[in-house]
Amino acid sequence: MGGVCSRKRDQRDNEDNVLRGVSGRYIKSGSSKWLATSFPRPAIDVQLGRGKCPSLLDLCIRKICEDIDRYSTFSMLPRDISQQIFNELVYSHRLNDVYLEAFRDCALQDLYLGEYPGVNDSWMDVISSQGSSLLSVDLSGSEVTDTGLLHLKDCLNLQALNFNCCDQISDHGLERISSSFSNLTSLSFRRNNAITAKGMSAFAGLVNLVKLDLERCPEIHGGLIHLKGLAKLESLNLKCCNCITDDDMRPLSGLVNLKVLQISCSKVTDFGITFLQGLHKLSLLNLEGCPVTAACLESLSALAALLYLNLNRCHLSDDGCMKFSRFGNLKVLNLGFNDISDACLVHLKGLTNLESLNLDSCRIRDEGLVNLIGLRHLKFLELSDTEVGSNGLRHLSGLTSLESLNLSFTVVTDGGLKKLSGLTSLKSLNLDARHITDTGLAALTSLTGLTHLDLFGARITDAGTNHLRNFKNLRSLEICGGGLTDTGVKNIKDLSSLMLLNLSQNSNMTDKTLELISGLTGLVSLNVSNSRITSSGLRHLKTLKNLKSLTLEGCKVTVNDIKMLQSTDLPNLVSFRPE
Amino acid sequence: MKKEDMVKLISSEGFEFVIDKDAAMVSQTIYNMLTSPGSFSETQHGEVTFPEISTTILEKICKYFYWHLQFASGKETEFHIEPELTLELLMAANYLHT
Repeated sequence: MGGVCSRKRDQRDNEDNVLRGVSGRYIKSGSSKWLATSFPRPAIDVQLGRGKCPSLLDLCIRKICEDIDRYSTFSMLPRDISQQIFNELVYSHRLNDVYLEAFRDCALQDLYLGEYPGVNDSWMDVISSQGSSLLSVDLSGSEVTDTGLLHLKDCLNLQALNFNCCDQISDHGLERISSSFSNLTSLSFRRNNAITAKGMSAFAGLVNLVKLDLERCPEIHGGLIHLKGLAKLESLNLKCCNCITDDDMRPLSGLVNLKVLQISCSKVTDFGITFLQGLHKLSLLNLEGCPVTAACLESLSALAALLYLNLNRCHLSDDGCMKFSRFGNLKVLNLGFNDISDACLVHLKGLTNLESLNLDSCRIRDEGLVNLIGLRHLKFLELSDTEVGSNGLRHLSGLTSLESLNLSFTVVTDGGLKKLSGLTSLKSLNLDARHITDTGLAALTSLTGLTHLDLFGARITDAGTNHLRNFKNLRSLEICGGGLTDTGVKNIKDLSSLMLLNLSQNSNMTDKTLELISGLTGLVSLNVSNSRITSSGLRHLKTLKNLKSLTLEGCKVTVNDIKMLQSTDLPNLVSFRPE
Repeated sequence: MKKEDMVKLISSEGFEFVIDKDAAMVSQTIYNMLTSPGSFSETQHGEVTFPEISTTILEKICKYFYWHLQFASGKETEFHIEPELTLELLMAANYLHT
C-alpha cells in the first residue's frame, strides 16, 4: 500500500510584492488571514457538490474527522494516510490538544499549524514524537515558548521551521536548537522582538540553510556576523528591520550564493551597498525605503544577475541616474516616490528587458514618456500621481505587451485615451482621475480583455455605462464619481465575471441597484456606501453566496440588519460595515 | 449483459461479487490489473482476488463504485459510511487507489 503523497512546502514568494511595490502587508488579525505568512495548508481539495467526485479515500478521511473522538491512535496507519487525516483536521478546525494525542508516533512529515488557534507548549510532546520523520513544522502565531522549542531537539531531519509571530521565543530557545538542526534549509522568525545578536550565534551552525526570514525583527543589529559561514544561503529577508545598518552589510559580502536579499526600511546607505558588489548571483534586491541615493548604482551595476530592483521610497534624484543605463538585464524596476524627473527616464531607454516599471509620484511629464517607446516587453507600468497628461499617452501606444497601466491622479483627459485603444493585452487599467468622463470610456471599447477597471473618481454617468458591456471579462469595477443611478446599473448586471464591485458615492442609487446585481453571484466584495440603499433592499443580496465583504456606510442599514443577513444567507461574509 | 462486460471480485473469505467492469474500473488498481497487456491472469479471466479485503468491506467498495458512476452522471447524493467500518475501508481504498 502507499498512496501518492504530494508535499508542497514553498512559501508564498515575496517577489510578487516587489513587482507591485508593496512591502510586507501582513497584519496579525483575523480579517487579514489571507495575507498570512504561514505555509499554505494542504487540504482535500474536492468539495462535495462541486461536480468532481470525491474518492473513497477522501470520504473515509472526512468521516474519521467527523467521528474523531472514536479514535485514540493512528500510529498503525501508513504515514501518508495519517498525514492526510491530520491535514484535514487542521483544515476543518477540529484539531485540539486532546485529539492531537492520536497522532503520537505517527511518523508525520509536515505539521502546518501556522495561525492555528490554541497551539502551545503542551502540543510539543506529540509534535516531537514524530522524531526523525518530521521534515517541516509551522507554528506561526502560536504561544510556543523557548521550552517548547527544546522539544524539537530530537527531530534531527527537520528541513523547514516557521515561527513567525511567536513572541515567546527568544535567544534562549535559539541557542539550544542549532546543534540539532544541521539539516535545516528554511527558517523563519518574522516579527520577533526578542531575538538579538546573541541568540543569532546559533545560526552559525545551520550550515545547510538556504532561506532565512527575519522580517520585522527589530533587535537583530550586529547578529548577521553569524551568517558569514552559511555558504548555501540563497534568500535573506530582513524587511522592516529598521535596526539594520551599513555595518550589518559587511558580513553579507561573502555570501556569494545569495539570490534574494530584502533589506527594505532599514538604515542601510550607499556605503552599506558597496559590500554587496560581489554577490554575483543576486537576482532580487529590495531596498525600498532605505536612505540610498543614485550613488549606490555604482555598486549595484556590478551585479550582473540582477533582475528585480526595488528602489521605491529611496533618496534618488536625477543626479547620478545615468548609471541606470548599465542595468540592461533588469526585468522589474521600482522607482516610485523618488525625486526623479524626465531627466532620469532618458537613462532607462536601453533597459529593453524591463517588464515592470513603477514611477509612482515621480516628476514625470509627457515628454519623458518618449523614452519608454522602446521598452516593448513592458507589462506593468505605474504612472499614478505623475504629471503625465494626454499628450504623453501617444508614446505608450506601441507598448502592446502592457497588461497593467495605472494613470490614476494624473492629468490625463478623454482626448488622450484613444491612444490606448490598441493596447489589447491590457487586463488592468486605472483611470481614477476627475478629468475622465463617458467620452473617454467610449474610446476604450476595444480593450475587451480588461479584468480590472478602476474609474473611482472619474465622472461616469448612466450613459457611459453602455460602454461597459464590452468588458465581459471584468472581475473588478469601481465607479464612484457620483454620477450613476439605478439606470446605469442595468449595464453592469450582466458582467457575470465580477468579483469586486464598488459603486459607492453614487448618492442616487436605491434598493433597485441591489435587485439588479442580485444575479452577480461571483461577487466577493461589494460597496454601495453613501447611497439611498435601505435595509429592505438587503434581501436582494441573499443570492450572493460568495460575498466576503459588504460595505454600506452612510446608508439606512444597521449593523443588525447585516448580521441578520449574514446568519441566514451569507455564511462567507467576514467583513462588513457598518460594524 | 455480456460476460466480458462483467468482472468477479473475490473477498478474503471467498465471497464473489460480480459487477460491471465499468464500475470496478473506478479503482485505479483494478483498472491497471484489467488493462495491462497479457501478464496478469486477472486480465484473462476477469477475476480478481483480494486476500486482504473482507466481504463486508468489499461489498461496501462495490457500492462505492456504483455511487461514483451515479455521481459522475450528475446524481450527487451522499455516500454513507458506518463509523465502525471507516478505518478498514480507508485502508482498502488506499490499496485500490479509489
